[in-house]
Amino acid sequence: MMTYIVFILSIVFVMSFVGFATKPSPIYGGLVLIISGGIGCAIVLNFGGSFLGLMVFLIYLGGMLVVFGYTTAMATEQYPEVWVSNKAVLAAFITGLLSELLTACYILKDDEVEVVLKFNGMGDWVIYDTGDSGFFSEEAMGIAALYSYGTWLVIVTGWSLLTGVLVIMEVTRGN
Amino acid sequence: MKPPILIAILATVMTGTMIVMLSSHWLLIWIGFEMNMLAIIPILMKKFNPRAMEASTKYFLTQATASMLLMMGVTINLLYSGQWMISKISNPAASIMMTIALTMKLGLSPFHFWVPEVTQGISLSSGMILLTWQKIAPMSILYQISPSINTDLMTLMALTSVLTGGWGGLNQTQLRKIMAYSSIAHMGWMTAIIIYSPTMMFLNLNYINFYFYIKMSLYILMTLSTFMLFMLSASTTTLSLSHTWNKIPLIASTILTLMLSLGGLPPLSGFIPKWMIIQELTKNDMIVVPTLMAITALLNLYFYMRLTYSTALTMFPSANNMKMKWQFEHTKKMTLLPPLIITSTMLLPIMPMMSILD
Repeated sequence: MMTYIVFILSIVFVMSFVGFATKPSPIYGGLVLIISGGIGCAIVLNFGGSFLGLMVFLIYLGGMLVVFGYTTAMATEQYPEVWVSNKAVLAAFITGLLSELLTACYILKDDEVEVVLKFNGMGDWVIYDTGDSGFFSEEAMGIAALYSYGTWLVIVTGWSLLTGVLVIMEVTRGN
Repeated sequence: MKPPILIAILATVMTGTMIVMLSSHWLLIWIGFEMNMLAIIPILMKKFNPRAMEASTKYFLTQATASMLLMMGVTINLLYSGQWMISKISNPAASIMMTIALTMKLGLSPFHFWVPEVTQGISLSSGMILLTWQKIAPMSILYQISPSINTDLMTLMALTSVLTGGWGGLNQTQLRKIMAYSSIAHMGWMTAIIIYSPTMMFLNLNYINFYFYIKMSLYILMTLSTFMLFMLSASTTTLSLSHTWNKIPLIASTILTLMLSLGGLPPLSGFIPKWMIIQELTKNDMIVVPTLMAITALLNLYFYMRLTYSTALTMFPSANNMKMKWQFEHTKKMTLLPPLIITSTMLLPIMPMMSILD
């Protein structure tokens, strides 16, 4: 099972995406988003990116989704929509799950799936050696490079985040 | 909006477009697009009525979807070529996805449905920025990937855009929707030529494909002038445009020449891009496509002519007190309006100068 862990995790990843793509109420969408974020973190961890995966948990789930959860809890309605409360949502959910299961069975059977593009084989989903350069782990070096050579990127990212805050303040001002 | 915030937001819009135009790394291009889209939302929502909020939401949703499609195309390109630079995209799936994403951002058919609704829901000045500045960034990326664009897809989208731009604008009296359909049609003309423009790789030098640039700059000039003229009298319907003879008589005749220039009539500068595009298309052995485009551009011309007729050539029946307005001095500062009008209507005699770019 451990050799196929990334495959299994990515199947559950897509299924949880189906869970919030069928548009239940934002609270339940946020719940599934947390689960899918956690699974995404696990996928990144399985590729050896321990720092980046834990960053996902800390910043994405622990920062952004917590704020999202608080705001949706404040803005919620009396009877929020669940996956089983509305036939359309339920049908979309079941359709999504079935399509994912069919794709998974295809991959298991053929070792390769071609829908416009080739996603070949379970071989790519199993943990492979990422060809690391000696004793340095690539992802930590990448982050170090971001803060030394990639100063422009940090400036752009910081400015975009500041703009995001300004835009949100401006949009919700309302007068 | 408080002035420091407005400055920051406008600076971010321009920085986003600049980052898109000047980057060679796909990730930075995507960042530029997102920055641009995020920062223009408060500009679209200047007035806080539900119409403007709905228009901004529609804009945000379509542009975010298009950015995600672009990212998917970039990732597929990464998977098959192993690098992040803008260059020839060898995988057809990636290039088709990128083309679809960028045409969704531009508002080409069949992704044109958001353009009239968004343009109608926002104020005239925001609409001006939406229809001119926001077209620069996706067009620059389309230009950069133009050797890898699927020819059939692009020609089909261009042809249907000219058709929908012409037919959709026929039943409109609201000026912003008319300008939106005009934008759809002009984008169709621009993308029809982008595949065939001369990009000569001579000694690794890329010459600019000038037909596309001419169309782009003239379209921006003409649209800027029209919006500014509409903003002078704050007219958003054909009916209020028909009262300009009494408010500011000078712009009644200016609107006449400008509308005919937008429609592409010969002695005016709007004819330059149409002429060069048809010439370049026929040089590439396409006969049916430019014929169809020229014929359906007549639909465009029809509703421009309707605007000129109601503005400058006839007087609608109205009550007598509408015919005797107070002649105030207009105080709206329209920067550079006279040069814009002159370049939008009188550039035809210097068109042979374009041959220096050859």
